[in-house]
Amino acid sequence: MTATGHDEDIERSAPPNRPRRMRRSVAAVFSVLGELLITAGLILGLFVAYSLWWTNVLADRAADKQGDEVRRHWAAPSPKGPGKLDTKDGIGFLHVPAMKNGEVLVKKGTGSEILNEGVAGYYTKPLASALPQDKKGNFTLAAHRDGHGAKFHNIDKLREGDPIVFETKDTWYVYKVYAVLDQTSKYNVDVLDRVPKESGKHQAGRYITLTTCTPVYTSNFRYIVWGELDRTEKVDADRTPPKELR
Amino acid sequence: MYGWIWRHLPGNTWVKALISLVLVLAVVFVLFQYVFPWAEPLLPFNDVTVDQGMAAVR
Repeated sequence: MTATGHDEDIERSAPPNRPRRMRRSVAAVFSVLGELLITAGLILGLFVAYSLWWTNVLADRAADKQGDEVRRHWAAPSPKGPGKLDTKDGIGFLHVPAMKNGEVLVKKGTGSEILNEGVAGYYTKPLASALPQDKKGNFTLAAHRDGHGAKFHNIDKLREGDPIVFETKDTWYVYKVYAVLDQTSKYNVDVLDRVPKESGKHQAGRYITLTTCTPVYTSNFRYIVWGELDRTEKVDADRTPPKELR
Repeated sequence: MYGWIWRHLPGNTWVKALISLVLVLAVVFVLFQYVFPWAEPLLPFNDVTVDQGMAAVR
């Protein structure tokens, strides 16, 4: 309280234009502050646009390019006969009619540098995924829910019995969804087990596990969908899709 | 701040407006090309995998 008295004393003794100049400089500080806040708001808005739109543009472009490459590889007659599985470009395409997003290229690994290119990745850690052609095991996949292609955005549209089809060079693997875990901890690595007990299974089989983040636009939890192999079909010369995709 | 920039741009109003537009686009480009890709992995919005809490170590 005494401080105010002092201020008044100073103001009274100062030249008459001093208070006005001070008021003006205070106003200038606030106006710069206000402009900075507005700028921050605009930058955050741009970041949302970046995350939800621009990353999709980039990722879809990258995924289309890589997908075309894989298809070209498949179409070209392999000169060295059946070589080892080429996992660099991608091992095949995931088709999930319920997600209404066409085909999703599947590549090895779940690091952000891989998933950010608009593909789904199969786990190499913490627990290595089985591959569809393996006799038993769990084919575990992850992809983005939002941004970067958002390939699993509609994962919540999957219901029990819905088909999940995985296409490789010579085989269609048709899985059927049998269990959904709509929210679990992000540390719940048990969902990737060879026999995912949480899905209600106790015997080794040929399973597929889709993982992504939930709720949409955040990554607080994980959304899990489990499927089991229903049948396989040989790919014919025209690559006629199985009836689930027609 | 913006007033100060505007006053220091050369030319008449139209030239100033044009330069401002170019500056804004340049800022947006730098944000989209460099700043946001750098910032995004640091923010917890887009982790989709289950892990043992080792994501930070990557």
